[in-house]
Amino acid sequence: MIECNHVYKQYKNGTNALYDLNISVEQGEFVYIIGPTGSGKSTLIKLLDGEETPTKGDVNVVGINVGKLRPRQVPLYRRNIGVVFQDFRLLRAKTVFENVAYALEVINMKKKPIQKRVGEVLELVGLQSKSASFPNQLSGGQQQRVAIARAIANRPKVLIADEPTGNLDPEKSDEIMDLLEKINARYGTTILMVTHDLTLVNKHRKRTIVLENGHIVADLAEGGYVRHDQ
Amino acid sequence: MISRPLKEGFRGVARHWGMSISAAIAVTITLVMISIFMIFSFNLENFTKDIESSLEISVLVDYDYDSQEQIDRIATELNDIDGVSEVTFSDKEQEFDFYLNSFEDETTRSAFEPFRDDNPMHNAFYLEAKSGSVIESVAEQAKTIEGVDTVSYGGQSTIDLVGAMSSVRKVGFVIVVAMTFLAVMLIQNAIKLTISSRKDEITIMRNVGATNRFIRSPFLIEGIITGILGSIIPIGLSIVGYTYLYRVTGGHMLSNMFNLLAPNPFIYRLAIALVVIGVVVGYIGSWISVTRYLRWKR
Ligand SMILES: Nc1ncnc2c1ncn2[C@@H]1O[C@H](COP(=O)(O)OP(=O)(O)O)[C@@H](O)[C@H]1O
Ligand SMILES: [Mg+2]
Repeated sequence: MIECNHVYKQYKNGTNALYDLNISVEQGEFVYIIGPTGSGKSTLIKLLDGEETPTKGDVNVVGINVGKLRPRQVPLYRRNIGVVFQDFRLLRAKTVFENVAYALEVINMKKKPIQKRVGEVLELVGLQSKSASFPNQLSGGQQQRVAIARAIANRPKVLIADEPTGNLDPEKSDEIMDLLEKINARYGTTILMVTHDLTLVNKHRKRTIVLENGHIVADLAEGGYVRHDQ
Repeated sequence: MISRPLKEGFRGVARHWGMSISAAIAVTITLVMISIFMIFSFNLENFTKDIESSLEISVLVDYDYDSQEQIDRIATELNDIDGVSEVTFSDKEQEFDFYLNSFEDETTRSAFEPFRDDNPMHNAFYLEAKSGSVIESVAEQAKTIEGVDTVSYGGQSTIDLVGAMSSVRKVGFVIVVAMTFLAVMLIQNAIKLTISSRKDEITIMRNVGATNRFIRSPFLIEGIITGILGSIIPIGLSIVGYTYLYRVTGGHMLSNMFNLLAPNPFIYRLAIALVVIGVVVGYIGSWISVTRYLRWKR
């Protein structure tokens, strides 16, 4: 599902963000990417969703060589994946329902099936009663659940998330984790989640890839991570 | 599907009211200027046509070239001159009647009547030139034809005026085109501002897989709406202003020498032209700014 082969990323200003990254994630896996701030986690997410291109190496997601896409093709590629961000990224001027529906409008789905599907995913995330609300009328946890509903509306095989619980308190973070686990289990969606919340990582144990200064320093199949540098 | 961009476009204008107004004002200002120059240019064109059609070259035929063959030959040769659009023949009988009819009172006319048998008039041709600028050369060439006695036309000053007006008209046209470009630039700049203020929105749209075209279409509708909004005041001003001008001048300027175009249908055609320019300018302006913003976005 996700393959990174000898991936390097150097930004235009000369910053080296990733060095010789090799990652292979199978369909249906749930993987954490952890590491301190500046270790290159977000850069990896940007390579995966096509926002940045690798300086060297290949990034393959759902069989597509993401780094080789022309800018025009990137939106089409994104219809195959769901992306969730720390800052939710909901359209402020649209209701909960419209936000989720937008992801289906872009693929030219008809009105009727859109309504049906939006209803389904809002039910899945437990926000059917909020469908007419605007994002600023919701709590952070609720907004993130809307963002997750939007990300999975199109039934993507892969869901990537950049610190989805970064703005949430522990209780809400747990709720989001439960939701992601439910999606992973129910639909077999491959999930790659960036976090630096070690409590979460140790509580919901999964394969964990550890980044430091742009290098992979550990890939723990059994999960659970204890800081070893002090 | 056209309904989504339409709906989103109207929403966009409503939601970013301030931005839309400032873009519309940019269009308004330039459309007012375009309107003034168009009123000016079209009237000038009208004046010029009036004057040109009144410019006639009269060619008098020598008494010795009286036969039908000679008349036909001269007619053909006149027709062959470059820049001649029409040749009309008037024989000496018609000329005599014409001369006679130029007198108001019956007594003078009857006093001349005896001369009809010893008609002093020439057979004559009247030439219409295609434009004021060729009158002189047409006249010169007509003079060289065998059997032509005299050639005359309305004064040099009229011809000079026609020449001057045609260059003023060209300048007016250039100004209208330049104004249109200016309008595109102004609205494009205004829309660029609305877009950069909405780049988060656009980024999100791209995050969920919207193509450039999908993102762009509501902005194009917004541009068109802005252009239409921007043309309302210029149209109102033009209709009221021109109708007023026409009324106070009685449709003439400079002691009846120039006739103004009648407000109907001129002013309504102008109104349509202004809306069309507004719409085109709005469309192109937003196309440029959205495309510029989206082109390199991944
Ligand atoms: N757009 C950018 N241009 C230049 N340098 C960047 C850019 N984005 C991130 N970086 C740098 O790349 C490194 C990795 O950043 P990032 O991937 O955001 O780390 P993390 O998400 O793990 O905190 C940092 O040194 C950061 O300053
Ligand atoms: Mg980050």
